[in-house]
Amino acid sequence: MKAPEADSVRHPIGLESRGVHHWFGPKRVLADVNLKVRRGQFLSLVGPSGCGKSTFLRAIIGTHLPRQGHILLFPFGQTSEGVPVTGPGRDRGIVYQHYSLFPFFTARENVAIGLKLDQTSFPYRYFRFPQWRKLRKRHLELAEEFLAKVKLSDAMHLFPHEMSGGMRQRVALAQSLIMKPEIILLDEPFGALDEATREELQEMLLALYAENQQAKERGEKPPHTLIIVTHELNEAIYVGDRVVGLSQYWDWGKEGHADCPGATIVYDKSAPVFELKDGRDFEKFARQREEIRRIVFEPSVLQDRHEHVIYWKQLSTVEVTGMSL
Amino acid sequence: MIRRPIKRQTSIILGVASLLLLLGVYSWISHRQHQKNPDDTTIPTWKQIAKGVGTAVEVNPRSRDRWLVEDAKASGFRLFVGLAVGVAGALVLGMLMGCFAPIEAFLQPPMSLLAKVPPTAALAVFFVLVGTGTNMYISMIAFGILPTLAITVYLAVKEFPEELQYKAYTLGASHAEVICTIILRYVFPKLIDAIRLVIGPAMVFLIAAEMLVGDVGFGYRIRLQSKLLNMSVVYPYLALLAAFGFAMDYTLTLLQKKCCPWYEGARG
Repeated sequence: MKAPEADSVRHPIGLESRGVHHWFGPKRVLADVNLKVRRGQFLSLVGPSGCGKSTFLRAIIGTHLPRQGHILLFPFGQTSEGVPVTGPGRDRGIVYQHYSLFPFFTARENVAIGLKLDQTSFPYRYFRFPQWRKLRKRHLELAEEFLAKVKLSDAMHLFPHEMSGGMRQRVALAQSLIMKPEIILLDEPFGALDEATREELQEMLLALYAENQQAKERGEKPPHTLIIVTHELNEAIYVGDRVVGLSQYWDWGKEGHADCPGATIVYDKSAPVFELKDGRDFEKFARQREEIRRIVFEPSVLQDRHEHVIYWKQLSTVEVTGMSL
Repeated sequence: MIRRPIKRQTSIILGVASLLLLLGVYSWISHRQHQKNPDDTTIPTWKQIAKGVGTAVEVNPRSRDRWLVEDAKASGFRLFVGLAVGVAGALVLGMLMGCFAPIEAFLQPPMSLLAKVPPTAALAVFFVLVGTGTNMYISMIAFGILPTLAITVYLAVKEFPEELQYKAYTLGASHAEVICTIILRYVFPKLIDAIRLVIGPAMVFLIAAEMLVGDVGFGYRIRLQSKLLNMSVVYPYLALLAAFGFAMDYTLTLLQKKCCPWYEGARG
């Protein structure tokens, strides 16, 4: 247990996007996206619609690899140079806004399915049926624990179509959490929910963040690393400890491009860390919200793309209120 | 008035009434016909029909077997094996077409083309290729239903949201598991729906072929007895076919409810 811990201190990065470019035919989407995500971080990714957030997520998941550049993973406890993403894998979970659950499984089966797919194979399930039965029972028990964690013990046997949108997203979260992936991506997870449900789920994420901090205090690996894509700036600042803005509105002319080469990261700053007991005082970060709106979302404001990418500088000057190294 | 629901009781009463009306009208027409011609067999009385059923069920003095048993055995075997082969083939081809673009591109043109050829019209082809035995009936039913079913399966696979496929990968699924554990489960209830729809055509193919070249089976018996104007045998046979179709439909619906309890609600 000692060695990996030392490694994680030396390599606090869980995932890196290195020089990622992407385009579809003549349409340039991503231009030189560089991002290092710290292990245990809750990173909010914001940007105007059509800026390539989804493309970036797909690159991380590995279903649509970037045309240029790499996504690198740094599995916990390995002092490697980073493993480039070549396709989807069980180390990166995702929660979509829609279609987040398999319609033919109940809540419990939906949560347990990852364990089944990851730990067993066809030959095992058919030829070693008795063992598989026993293992299946353990999987289902574990799934029940995770459902209890997202407060859905009562809905265990419901099918997705019998659940509300909020319940579905909670099951989807449990479905990803049970795999203990290196990173979980949430693609506008609460976009289709009503305000009250939304707040409930945000608080659930804060509870996960608190688990991270407890693990850090014990000197262990923080269990959850999240990238949450959202168009709601309050949510971005409230849930994340860092806000990254991806935008096509930046001063590309200054870097010698004749046309817009695509969206890149124009904003990267730490965000205040909220605890559940703090309540949601949105006035606290009204200034940051306005700043993001201007820099990331305003088409007429074209600034140097490095100007507001100062997260790591903030970190080194311990200006960050988030998790310490 | 328009689209206003009625009580369940009322709807049952109306349904029964329409069936009773049908039987009543038949009895009346039959009665009038027999007043004109007491020996008529084209619109048999209930008594004649009962006798016809007897002929079909009792051991026939000449052929020394029971028509209905022999016919049901022959037609039933042909139909079920034909359906099984057709469904199995369609499932494999449809899944392959839905999952793999090269196979899709390769198989789609012949599949859409073959779907348009009426198998009964192509009877001679099967006759030439596999002879007149049981194989002919089986292959005709199988090939008759395969294109439609395969295309249904293929479209169902295409409809499967790609998010769920990616999700399965992030949960550690292999390609084979995505196909057999995830997509197949999604497609299964739609396949049952499609089978329900092709049972009618499959019966048409079978009866038509039996009428043309059969020496036993429902189609053969109906054609023969129709020629002899023995409608007292033909009507019970038709009623039996209807009952069979109804039972198949019911069984498949039940199977779908049991195996895919999620489907009914998720569809809406």
